[in-house]
Amino acid sequence: MRLVVALGLVLMGANALCAQTLQQAEARWKARDYQGANEIFRQLVAADPKNPDLKVRWGRLYLDHQQPNDAQDLFAEALEIKKDHAGALLGLALIASEGYEGRAADLARKALESDPKLVEAQELLAYLALEDNDNAKASEEAHKALALDANSITGKAVLATIDWLADKKESQWDPHAAKGYEVAGHFFVINRRYEEGIQYLRKAIELDPQLYSARSQLGVNLMRLGQNEEAYKQLEICFNNGFQDAATRNSLKLMDSYKNFVTFTTPRTILKLHKKEAALLRPYIESEMEKAIATYEDKYRMKLTRPVQVEVYPDHEDFAVRTMGLPGLGALGVTFGYSIAMDSPSGRPPGQFHWASTLWHEMSHVFTLTATNHHVPRWFTEGMAVHEETSVSPEWGDRLTPDVIAAIKNKKLLPVTELDRGFVHPVSPGQVVVSYYQAGKICDYINEKWGWNTLLAMLHDFAGAMETADVIRKELKTEPPDFDKQFIAYVEAQTQTVVTSYDDWKKGMRTLVDKVAAKEWDSVIADAPRLRDQYPDYVEDHNAYEALAQAYLAKGNKPAALAELERYEKTGGRNPDTLKSLAKQLEEAGRPKDAAAALDRINYIYPMDAAAHRSLGALWLVQNNPKGAIREFQAVLAKNPLDQAQAHYDLARAYQANHQNAQANDECLASLEAAPGFRPAQKLLLELSNSPEK
Amino acid sequence: MGCGVSWPLCLLRVSAFQIALLLFTALAAPASTYYLTITGLGGEPDFTQRFKMWADDIDTSLKRAGGDANVVTMHVPSREQVRTRFAELARQVKANDTFVLVLIGHGTYDGVDYKFNLQGPDITAGELAALMDRVPAQRQLVVNTTECSGGSIEHLRRPSRIVVSATRSGTERNATVFARYWAEALREPSADTDKNEAISALEAFRYAQQKTTDYFETQKRLATEHSVLEDTGKGTGERNPNNDNGEGKLAASFAVVRLGANAAAARDPAKRPLLDRREQLEQAIEKLKFEKAAMPEADYKRQLTQLLLELAKVQEAIDK
Repeated sequence: MRLVVALGLVLMGANALCAQTLQQAEARWKARDYQGANEIFRQLVAADPKNPDLKVRWGRLYLDHQQPNDAQDLFAEALEIKKDHAGALLGLALIASEGYEGRAADLARKALESDPKLVEAQELLAYLALEDNDNAKASEEAHKALALDANSITGKAVLATIDWLADKKESQWDPHAAKGYEVAGHFFVINRRYEEGIQYLRKAIELDPQLYSARSQLGVNLMRLGQNEEAYKQLEICFNNGFQDAATRNSLKLMDSYKNFVTFTTPRTILKLHKKEAALLRPYIESEMEKAIATYEDKYRMKLTRPVQVEVYPDHEDFAVRTMGLPGLGALGVTFGYSIAMDSPSGRPPGQFHWASTLWHEMSHVFTLTATNHHVPRWFTEGMAVHEETSVSPEWGDRLTPDVIAAIKNKKLLPVTELDRGFVHPVSPGQVVVSYYQAGKICDYINEKWGWNTLLAMLHDFAGAMETADVIRKELKTEPPDFDKQFIAYVEAQTQTVVTSYDDWKKGMRTLVDKVAAKEWDSVIADAPRLRDQYPDYVEDHNAYEALAQAYLAKGNKPAALAELERYEKTGGRNPDTLKSLAKQLEEAGRPKDAAAALDRINYIYPMDAAAHRSLGALWLVQNNPKGAIREFQAVLAKNPLDQAQAHYDLARAYQANHQNAQANDECLASLEAAPGFRPAQKLLLELSNSPEK
Repeated sequence: MGCGVSWPLCLLRVSAFQIALLLFTALAAPASTYYLTITGLGGEPDFTQRFKMWADDIDTSLKRAGGDANVVTMHVPSREQVRTRFAELARQVKANDTFVLVLIGHGTYDGVDYKFNLQGPDITAGELAALMDRVPAQRQLVVNTTECSGGSIEHLRRPSRIVVSATRSGTERNATVFARYWAEALREPSADTDKNEAISALEAFRYAQQKTTDYFETQKRLATEHSVLEDTGKGTGERNPNNDNGEGKLAASFAVVRLGANAAAARDPAKRPLLDRREQLEQAIEKLKFEKAAMPEADYKRQLTQLLLELAKVQEAIDK
């Protein structure tokens, strides 16, 4: 009995110690002494390993310290101890929401089921609904949060943000708190209203200079708008005060690397390129920027008021820093107002990236964002951008992917009024791709049925802060659910063959690949046309077009092989080697103009291949296009080839053909300086020296 | 814009080293060249096919070039067969001939010795070196394109022998692609960067090295091979042979394959004065290039133009 009493006293003492120590841990955490708090939590959990509450609080400390992976482990451990622990479920929901995962809302709802008074879970549901631009639901959830806690800052912030996003200057729900303004800043940023977002983030750190999460976001968004000096200063303050999350760290690192970039300006464009590829890429990208601006100014009936800036990153990781923390795919390019960041064509394996298509897509955002003062919903700006890609050329833009086919087949396309959700909180990684496709197709459909002016009218409605449902009613004279039905019928009619035969196609393609490997050419020629026609958009690796062309060539049927490769090209095939092979065959077939066109297509996909530039330059030179030839031979030189003599000589000939004899002479000298005995250059030098034209 | 009209950039590429190379090239006139290309075990059908294809590519280029070439290609021989061929070479080859050995296949390195994988017992770098030593040709080139080939340099290097290896050490163990581009260099006019209608060992090395680098960059893969060249007999191989590290002199003057008939004119006594003048002009151009850094740009351009124009006229007369 005495022993039991003694044990009880020890346990009581331990509990008292625990309670006191937990308070200490929380106090240190509040004082931003993360290391101290972490040490105390470690001891507490070691002493009481079956206590899920301790693990959850410790996890929240990690979450606050930007270590979501460690936090996730602790929440999972807590759930192993108590499978419906509300705090642990909430912790997981918060992590999921950081990554814009579709399951965040489910987790928050489960947390609320477990503890209906858990205000944070209710606040998160309001926050997530507003991220989907579902104002009605966000408002309802925020009011529920305020019913649980009348002082809920996030609840007030969500309600106030709904007013502010609708351009109401005052809101009765103004939280007057740093955290509340940080929430508002977040929503303006994800709605691409960066400048207003920055204003709210500034308000947040005015009230609490130590709110480093808001200060870091301020820095990141200043960087997005090109205000690098202040951006660096703000991020450095965060870093020096221990706030070193991935966005802060990587943004600072990226800005440090800007010394390796060079800037080229024209009255309408600012182009930032990495030094190592600037000479090569500048002519191609700059001219597409000019073309896109001229085309869109005409189409959108507006004038841009300042130059558009495009930053091109050869290292995809650098580009990824520019999109960090933003919802949606953003895999190739991203637009911040008048500023665009994108991957360089050198940043991806040849054929996987159509840089020009991406550039026109992003440039379209500049216009739709500007035209609506950044009020355009995500689905519409993305839809217009996707629509514009194929407007430039049918073979540009993305092809129909298996994810999209599955979504159509399984009736997973979203109602137009909920389409933003597919970008912001996708339930699977494939849903973002599907949403891009759907948004693009909706714009195609409206353009076909109602015309371009209707799309422009919708754009103007969005500029007036109208919501999608109202815009559909006003401009398309139909209810959104009816529009959805019509649209689905339109898509299904277009994709019927591929959707119904997709499984058969998949099986057939596997067999076809084996037959190609076994060189069973007759069988390939028999099977491939059917497979090609079942899914014509499939131009990726191991496609039917290339298999068929290969088989025809093996059988000595060059015209059929050529026809197949041309079909591949027109359908949007992008493998530079295949396009080069097509160009060669076209040249052999006596069609040099088409050969040049095939090679020129590579310039929009992978302009890093010196041999392709040289071939195109040579073709254009004989086709009396010396300006084009000059550009191509300059591209060869920009690649710093081993064969300097030939490269300078080629350029000299192009200059000569363009009656620029002084430049031709300089290039000829450069050629002979590299190889004094190079006879073609010697002959050209003599010719130029005897020419009266200078 | 590369160095289209940007003279100062081009200037940096000229050096006394290149003058020396030019003189060396002009003097070198070998009697015959003996080529031996050996493919090793592929292990897998894909490699076996690839090795054979690259070796055949080299064989075709060398035979097409013709001249005094003596070309032999052995596909997956045994060690004994290799020894036999070297014994034949030891008898046939003369001191003023040149000899080129190319190894295509897999190699291993255990930290001490390099082995080239053959049918049956492998052959070590030490034994290959001993076999090459018995070939009387004073000027030799060995191109080891296998993985781990950097581990063979120490054994193969000699003062009058150029050693090219696909990897910089014995520890780069991934299968290589260098051989593919070495083969390409021998048939690709753009590899002939000085346009003398011959591809030197240095030109072929630089071509293959550049193409290998491009291959890894384009594929977005980490480069697993870094080719080097050694031709002083005492180095460990250089990525960038140049005047500063003293590597590349012998390789620059070693013609692996001749693309044109540039030697024909040299045999015509009537053209001797023109040929002499051409040589003088070439030397004057190299000298001028060497002095470029210290000259006003306009003076340099004027003098270069004058010399190049005269050289072009002399060449025109030679070609008549």
